[in-house]
Amino acid sequence: MSEDKKEQKKEPFEPKIVGFLCNWCSYAGADLAGTSRIQYPPNIRIIRVMCSGSVDSMYILRALLEGADGVFVGGCHPGDCHYIDGNYKARRRMVLLQNILETLRLEKERVWLRWISASEGQKFADTMNEMTAAIKKLGPNPMAKHWDL
Amino acid sequence: MVQKMLKVKDGDVSGAINDFLRQLLSSQKLQALIVPQAMPSQKTTFPVLVSDPHMLHAAPLAPLLAASTAALVSRMTKVQAAPHPIGVVMRSCEIRALLELVKLNQAKLENIVIIGIDCLGTFPLNTYVEFPEKQKPTEYLLEQWKKNPDALDKYLRSACRVCKDPIPTNADIVLGLYGTDIEKQIIVEAYSDVGKQLVEHVKLEEGKDSKERQKALQQVREDKTKKRQQFLKEKAGIKGIEKLAEFFDRCVNCHNCRQACPVCYCKECLFDSSVFDAEAYKFLRRAEMKGMLKMPTDALLFHVGRMNHMILSCVQCGLCEQACPNTIPLMDVFIPVAEQAQKEFSYTPGKDKDEKIPLIVYKEDEFLEVGEK
Ligand code: SF4
Ligand code: SF4
Ligand code: FES
Repeated sequence: MSEDKKEQKKEPFEPKIVGFLCNWCSYAGADLAGTSRIQYPPNIRIIRVMCSGSVDSMYILRALLEGADGVFVGGCHPGDCHYIDGNYKARRRMVLLQNILETLRLEKERVWLRWISASEGQKFADTMNEMTAAIKKLGPNPMAKHWDL
Repeated sequence: MVQKMLKVKDGDVSGAINDFLRQLLSSQKLQALIVPQAMPSQKTTFPVLVSDPHMLHAAPLAPLLAASTAALVSRMTKVQAAPHPIGVVMRSCEIRALLELVKLNQAKLENIVIIGIDCLGTFPLNTYVEFPEKQKPTEYLLEQWKKNPDALDKYLRSACRVCKDPIPTNADIVLGLYGTDIEKQIIVEAYSDVGKQLVEHVKLEEGKDSKERQKALQQVREDKTKKRQQFLKEKAGIKGIEKLAEFFDRCVNCHNCRQACPVCYCKECLFDSSVFDAEAYKFLRRAEMKGMLKMPTDALLFHVGRMNHMILSCVQCGLCEQACPNTIPLMDVFIPVAEQAQKEFSYTPGKDKDEKIPLIVYKEDEFLEVGEK
């Protein structure tokens, strides 16, 4: 089969989302969604981190530049961070990252930050539905084809 | 503020400034001075640390910024504050960078006497060394500056062409060139107590009306702002992944830009660390995902990652651009990004040494939409 034919038979677009979830809240929330058998799209690849404040923007950028269609960072609700203020700092870093992406027109809409507690299994599932739908609308990350970065 | 006048004899501006600095150094109130001075070849000027007044032959007007004195002061004071007063002749962007380094605990201001000098702009190092005009760069600068300053634009570094503010702030003493006929006299302003005491030791005349200076300062600031807006308009197209990939495609990952940056202080840069060493199979997997991979890898990641680490402190000195061996016009991207990011946090780097850098503080009730929607 020629390359063209293969292209035509393409599967519908299933976004790849990289998720950094803090151990104490969002990861537990995702776990709860799983153990409670709440359905949510399987597009997220979860990486457990100790705190949303430990996610350097470099890792988010790395995922994007390598072609992830979306990057999700999940942390405890403000005031609930296990390390007191990691999520407040994560929020400022996210504001900066999104501002830079906006100036450079690098689709800041692909990067999400959300607060999800250990008891919010449903919220985690809802957020995954919401994000997957939003990224599907955006389409594939054009960086996935750029080998020249 | 105390304003005085430094007389210039026979139009020798540099001579008068040297005289001023020599008197300061001889007064024993300063142990040493850091000033730009010509190297023996006369081809370049570099900051030198002078302790012997007889060896002082400063070139404070030479249009060259070979290295930022901010980084040099950091080297000298990071571990321990200077034990005795050292005078440092600095341009405005160098002072701004020094204040950022102080906030980052990378420099101590005790016993550092900042002698700011109005900046007339600087040329790229290579242009300075191989200056194509008949005159020497400094002579050319002074002549054009008087006749038709816009003519200098073709040689100025882009950072200088669109400088945010060429007038020093937060200095103990300022040597003013705008708003005076520098072939006759230079304005000396003393701001801090230390500055005021120091100028007592130099033969100066009383300053008069500063209206002319205020007018000139307003004029140069307006002029630069206009050029800056024009610049931002011109560079607005370097956006989106296609354009950015192209913009950086001659980057060889030497990281000279980061090395030259006064506010990039990390002992070991993340981008030089073992985080980027990986087993061959990981590189292969990355290549397989895209079909192939430019080597060395991660140039764009380095630049955008570096911005995320330091752009709020970027003083727009343009030393990164000057350091690039492949002449990537980094300011075309760094200026717009710095402008927007600093606006987001209402932060002006180098303005106030007691202001905290935005990434180390937070408020509970801010940016509420981020994290919720
Ligand atoms: S990034 Fe470039 S312009 Fe900004 S402070 Fe560093 S060297 Fe100067
Ligand atoms: S100095 Fe130039 S080539 Fe070297 S890393 Fe910076 S942009 Fe790339
Ligand atoms: S531990 Fe969850 S955000 Fe800090």
